[in-house]
Amino acid sequence: MIPRPDSSSHDERIISVNGVKFSYDGCVPALAGVTLNLKRGEYVAIVGGNGSGKTTLAKMLNGLLKPASGTVTVRGKSTLDQSVAELARYVGYAFQNPDHQLFCSTVDDEVRFGPHNLGYKGDDLSKKVGRALETMRLTQLKDKPPLSLTLGQRRRISIASVIAMDSEVLIFDEPTTGLDTQETDDLMSSIEGLNREGRTIVLITHDMRLVAKHAKRVVVMSRGRIVLDTDPRGAFSDLDLLRASSMLPPPVVILAQRLKKYGLSGEALSPEELLYLVFRGKGGIR
Amino acid sequence: MRALEMRDVKFRYKGSEKRALDGVTLDVEQGEFVTILGANGSGKSTICLLSNGLIPHAISGDLEGTVEVFGKDVRTVSVADLSTKVGVVFQEPESQLFCMSVEEEVAFGPENLAVPRDEIIKRVEWALDLVDLKGFNDRSPFNLSGGQKQRVAIAAALSMKPDMLLLDEPAYALDPVGRIELYSVLRSLKEKYGLTVVLAERDAEDAVAFSDRLVLMKDGVIVRSGLPREVLRDPHVLRSAGVAPPQLTELASMMNSRLRTTDLSFLNVDEAEIAIVRNVLNPGGVGRP
Amino acid sequence: MTGFTDLYTEGDTFLHRMDPRVKIAAVVLLSFLAFVLTELRYLIILLAFIFLLLLMARARLTKTVFALKFVLRLMLLIAILWPFFDRSGTPVIVSMGPINITEPAIWRGATSAVRVGCLAAVWYILMFTTSQRDLVLALVRMGLRFDYGLTVAITLRFFPTFVSIIDSITDAQKARGLEFERGNIVKRSRNYVAVLVPAIVTALRTSDALSLALQSRAYGARTDRTYVRELHMRATDYAALAIFVALLVVPLAARHVFSVSV
Repeated sequence: MIPRPDSSSHDERIISVNGVKFSYDGCVPALAGVTLNLKRGEYVAIVGGNGSGKTTLAKMLNGLLKPASGTVTVRGKSTLDQSVAELARYVGYAFQNPDHQLFCSTVDDEVRFGPHNLGYKGDDLSKKVGRALETMRLTQLKDKPPLSLTLGQRRRISIASVIAMDSEVLIFDEPTTGLDTQETDDLMSSIEGLNREGRTIVLITHDMRLVAKHAKRVVVMSRGRIVLDTDPRGAFSDLDLLRASSMLPPPVVILAQRLKKYGLSGEALSPEELLYLVFRGKGGIR
Repeated sequence: MRALEMRDVKFRYKGSEKRALDGVTLDVEQGEFVTILGANGSGKSTICLLSNGLIPHAISGDLEGTVEVFGKDVRTVSVADLSTKVGVVFQEPESQLFCMSVEEEVAFGPENLAVPRDEIIKRVEWALDLVDLKGFNDRSPFNLSGGQKQRVAIAAALSMKPDMLLLDEPAYALDPVGRIELYSVLRSLKEKYGLTVVLAERDAEDAVAFSDRLVLMKDGVIVRSGLPREVLRDPHVLRSAGVAPPQLTELASMMNSRLRTTDLSFLNVDEAEIAIVRNVLNPGGVGRP
Repeated sequence: MTGFTDLYTEGDTFLHRMDPRVKIAAVVLLSFLAFVLTELRYLIILLAFIFLLLLMARARLTKTVFALKFVLRLMLLIAILWPFFDRSGTPVIVSMGPINITEPAIWRGATSAVRVGCLAAVWYILMFTTSQRDLVLALVRMGLRFDYGLTVAITLRFFPTFVSIIDSITDAQKARGLEFERGNIVKRSRNYVAVLVPAIVTALRTSDALSLALQSRAYGARTDRTYVRELHMRATDYAALAIFVALLVVPLAARHVFSVSV
């Protein structure tokens, strides 16, 4: 056995969450002791049902919420010592409802707002805005009023306005709600592009098909705790755990489990993988 | 008498350039459970708004063609009169619940119609029971989960004793648990109560299990209509209409091309399992292991 | 913000069980009484009576303390400021330039303070023991048009929802680098635009959707309507009402009929 190189070098850790506890009302714990380390360049999906704590955890990462006990460290410093505005430079958060964000008269102004607040000016600012508009395919729409556009377009504007701040970490909260297939595919491929550039992606969702297709690491939360933290294959192999955490495994995953009793071992995260599994016969993991 | 009869209906919202409906002819028989699949802008929501008269009475635009609900023309009958025949549930739970308790919410409709008090009390219990929220009378809607809120909205429509219920993307804002609760209520409404249901959805995965018929829409026209199995056969058609094909549909299509067959189709995991065993693992064999 | 909507505590005191219409009438009657009485000693008795009722409402300790603190601070403020503005009468206690503090003025200040204390405290009795539902129902039963009652009900129901929407908007804008505490007046106003515009747009969208929902359930179809929730006056309610009326009538009679100073 070749010893694996130590992949948890501390230089790579960009956000550390250590034993964090938090409660909104002082009675029910929203987070009951969560430890999580995010490395540069990762693509992590945080999944769980309502009340699992996934949104609470996400808001810890950019300082919107501060831990009642435990620590959250971003770039070596505790979030207790940094304001949300300071942290926005490193951790961008794209909220679920674009209508809770948009207020400018043109798309361009909207996308400009974030980086302007961070102090970017002149050419530098224009470049960041231009790139964000292009990544989200909004360049043609840049002089239009945001509130007159469709939901898909408004979602793209709100994401562009976060990307323009050029942060290393990007958190997306249910970004595909309300989008049709084409819009979903376009958005997910834009996010993959951002990941390839080296940004760390955190995807909060309860759509397991998205997770199966895009995430490289899955963190399953239930009742304020992390119950599973592994790669998608590992996550989907424990169907009981998923169900107990209020998540619905996609049909092909369930099917692959059923086919195990016929001697087909292996996981399938997509129809293609299941096909491969079936026609291969024994052992289907690529 | 049909529950819904639309003949060559065209509609353009006021201030909009494109038509939302561009020649739609659709029949829904009494007791049917129809799911209308389509992307944003396909026209499925417009059909919901037409069925209880909100279009044309509350929402302005240019309407052509005829829309009849249980024989009544929506142009000439008021929304209030249609409300005893048709109930509509919208996609945002927050903005269709406005009372301070579940009981008040469900009683609101019949109260408006001056239904006698004893009758209303009976209807409230009956409606809450149908949506599996018995005992929730004094709860405040603000504190309920998304799935519970939507079920209250359904109960509030049911207490009007309509013959048809339309739901416009009711599971939009719900998490997986809420979705399951919602669809099981819809299923039992069909099976136990025989209600005519029209469901407008963007996602094909959930509702296919118990729909009598699937109608696929794109850009204001119907592109396919028929049994779920038939409509879901071709992933390309679904994708070009902006609807994500269910995983099992894609699988069936792939298996068909691999095995050079054309008739494989699965609507659920059980069917898929059987088909795989029969056609790949154990071809020519007898029964299942 | 939430202090305002959260005043009601569930409970089973006689005040909770009292018909809300009687409680509303009590607020009105006791407020009138506070103006009818002019003698400090009677006003103090009235205040003590109101505080007693407040304690019998058995609201959560924090809320009761909050209410009492508020009322007492208000009273103190008035009692202290009054003699600075009311400078007439003898004997004079302190006289320094524009300041002329007289003994009668101090007494008048105290009297006004206790009076205002009564007016303020009596509302808490109503709010601690009556749910929003019952309040609206009582108002409608007392003659408020149903439309207005519904408007009040919808406002109360959506208040917490909009508080949380504003929180959500504020979070989203903070995450875009917006700092609310910094900057001059001009900058800060711009900051609030970033919260107001989305809030107003969301409110308008919600009210559009609500109007469709209301119409779908035949709102406004007829002028008559059924009311499922009923209010019944019981013997104890009539008795309580009689007591409150008597509390007002007796001092009035004493003054105007028997010329007794109250």
